[in-house]
Amino acid sequence: MLDFFGTIAGNILSLPGILGLALGMMTRNWSLAASMGGFVGILNTLIFAHFSFAEIAVYDLLIAVAVGAAAGVVGCAIRHKGSLA
Amino acid sequence: MADPKDKTRRKGLLGLWDRFWTPNGILSIGFILIAGFLTGIMFWGSFHWSLELTNTEEFCVSCHTMETNLGEYRETIHYNNHSGVRATCPDCHVPKEWNHKVKAKIMAAKDVYHELLGTISTEEKYEDRRLHMSASVWRKMKASDSRECRNCHAFEYMDFTAQENRAASEHQRALDNNMTCIDCHQGIAHALAPGYLEEYKRVVEELGGEPELSQSSIVDLHAIRRFLGEKSE
Repeated sequence: MLDFFGTIAGNILSLPGILGLALGMMTRNWSLAASMGGFVGILNTLIFAHFSFAEIAVYDLLIAVAVGAAAGVVGCAIRHKGSLA
Repeated sequence: MADPKDKTRRKGLLGLWDRFWTPNGILSIGFILIAGFLTGIMFWGSFHWSLELTNTEEFCVSCHTMETNLGEYRETIHYNNHSGVRATCPDCHVPKEWNHKVKAKIMAAKDVYHELLGTISTEEKYEDRRLHMSASVWRKMKASDSRECRNCHAFEYMDFTAQENRAASEHQRALDNNMTCIDCHQGIAHALAPGYLEEYKRVVEELGGEPELSQSSIVDLHAIRRFLGEKSE
């Protein structure tokens, strides 16, 4: 359980959480925001695996994509809430 | 979003919430961006600084329950050696890469929890939990290919001719069999509990690996310590 929460927190404070949120704030399209966040999750996992596919753990990849997508959606919600046009 | 034409203002926290989402009519976008950027740097700098404060030996051993670990570590070459280069607690137990570091920090919350509970507050309790605690560290190290050891040590740059014969042949064997540091060096910084080898094999099997260790290949840790101790004097 700790491992699970630690992985989530690590991703929130890393590229999926921060860049995912920033990218999500750039669009009003929910699915695009989630996709961009998810892509950042994939990118983040690749970077930390030094671009070696053999070193990628599916568990880490899934959590990174989920956190990225969630951050993208939150960013999109901020865009909806925070702009007039 | 709050309607700017709406004259009815809410009070308290709800009022703050409304103001937070109301477009600013006084400050320019440039000002807000620069201010946000600077605030971001300050926030991130202080966050990182605070995190690094928890990455020191003094912080690690400030808990009562860490006294036993510290005493054992002080007996090793990682604490005291001829060159004065040291590997402190975070060097071995906290990853350097951001993602892994944050994960380790979150997981370390359990140490505070157990310190408060007094799970290992006495010598007896500590010894009862020693194998369990060791196994959890071995699991992490085996899974990460001894990532923290490799921050300083690398097979590629080892001069086997400068090593003791047995060390050189064991390192060559490790290279040939794709082994990792923790496969042999389980007790390099802390004492080992009885039955540690069986427990290590169980950990390796749990991770889906084939234990490379056999009774004939068990490294005599006391001999290593004795050898390293003599070298460092």
